Amino acid sequence: MACSTTYLWRGETTWFCCGPAWGPCGSAGGGACGGCRSDSNHAAWPNASAACWDVTRPDLCGENMPRRGCGFVLRVRHQCTNAVVCPAIRDCGPRTQSFCGELTCCNGVCRSNRILDLTPKAFSAIGSLSAGKLPVWIYN
Amino acid sequence: MNPPIDRRRFLASAAVSGATIVGASALGALDPAAAFADPTPSLDPAIDTAAFAEGRVTQIKGSALEVAGSSGDQYILQITNGTSIWKVHPTTIDAIEVGDGLYARGVDMPDGTIAPDAVWVNIVNLHCTISAIGRDRIQLDHNNNALVGNVLTGTTTASYLGGAQTPDLSGLKIGQAVQVLGAWRPADDSVDIVTLWAGH
Repeated sequence: MACSTTYLWRGETTWFCCGPAWGPCGSAGGGACGGCRSDSNHAAWPNASAACWDVTRPDLCGENMPRRGCGFVLRVRHQCTNAVVCPAIRDCGPRTQSFCGELTCCNGVCRSNRILDLTPKAFSAIGSLSAGKLPVWIYN
Repeated sequence: MNPPIDRRRFLASAAVSGATIVGASALGALDPAAAFADPTPSLDPAIDTAAFAEGRVTQIKGSALEVAGSSGDQYILQITNGTSIWKVHPTTIDAIEVGDGLYARGVDMPDGTIAPDAVWVNIVNLHCTISAIGRDRIQLDHNNNALVGNVLTGTTTASYLGGAQTPDLSGLKIGQAVQVLGAWRPADDSVDIVTLWAGH
């Protein structure tokens, strides 16, 4: 089951580039799962594998999200606009431990900690790239 | 204030009619964030309704941008008076140059072009580590590559662990993890820093 309405997690999402790209993104590569592309609905999840978890360490911020591996499709909803996108996990990230306690808010309600990274295509489906990060709810 | 019209329908009709009033926005705002303030149709996971393009600008013909995608795709973006354009800040098509990189989101047109509601030019959002701090530039490490971040007086701001944006960069430290939202400069491969989120 994937991209359903069963609650999984909530927090901040940022965006990142992967795959064929221009500028500094040219060094990004295809992600931990391979095949990650900025022009596709793809995502990075902090618990895509045990090795991934060792890098992102969301538990250091109190986030113990379950394992969801390569190819799993998440349902991501913007907390305030309710815009939805369903990206597939193609990478490990974000590095949650580096930004413990960070907040992103809309309409006076805040979400804490970076728990998802979206490709430009996926992020732009629910918000503006110039915002950098958004508060989201995630379902699976 | 935006008039109560559907932005996507407006984009499509503007592109079809050729009503390309470059440099003005009939929807009332050039800020790309405004493109998402209107009601957005829920995206059926099986149907990808939004058109998306990425790549570098190869030619500018009036209000049409020809874009070479990084994977070899070719796009023509028809800029309309409903298109929001970002390049360091909200701007107009006049600020776009051949060689710029971009991401665009919009509506597929019957002739194969895209009518974008938002275009982000040279935008990057990079996870980096600070390697040196100067008055007008910050040396960054990105994927083990050196990257120069230009500090723009009056534009560059920092946020320390989710705090309010501030022009005060004195809290930055060498070795610190940062997320850099900015605009790539194709001419020298540096990045103009717009917002910098400082981590641990």
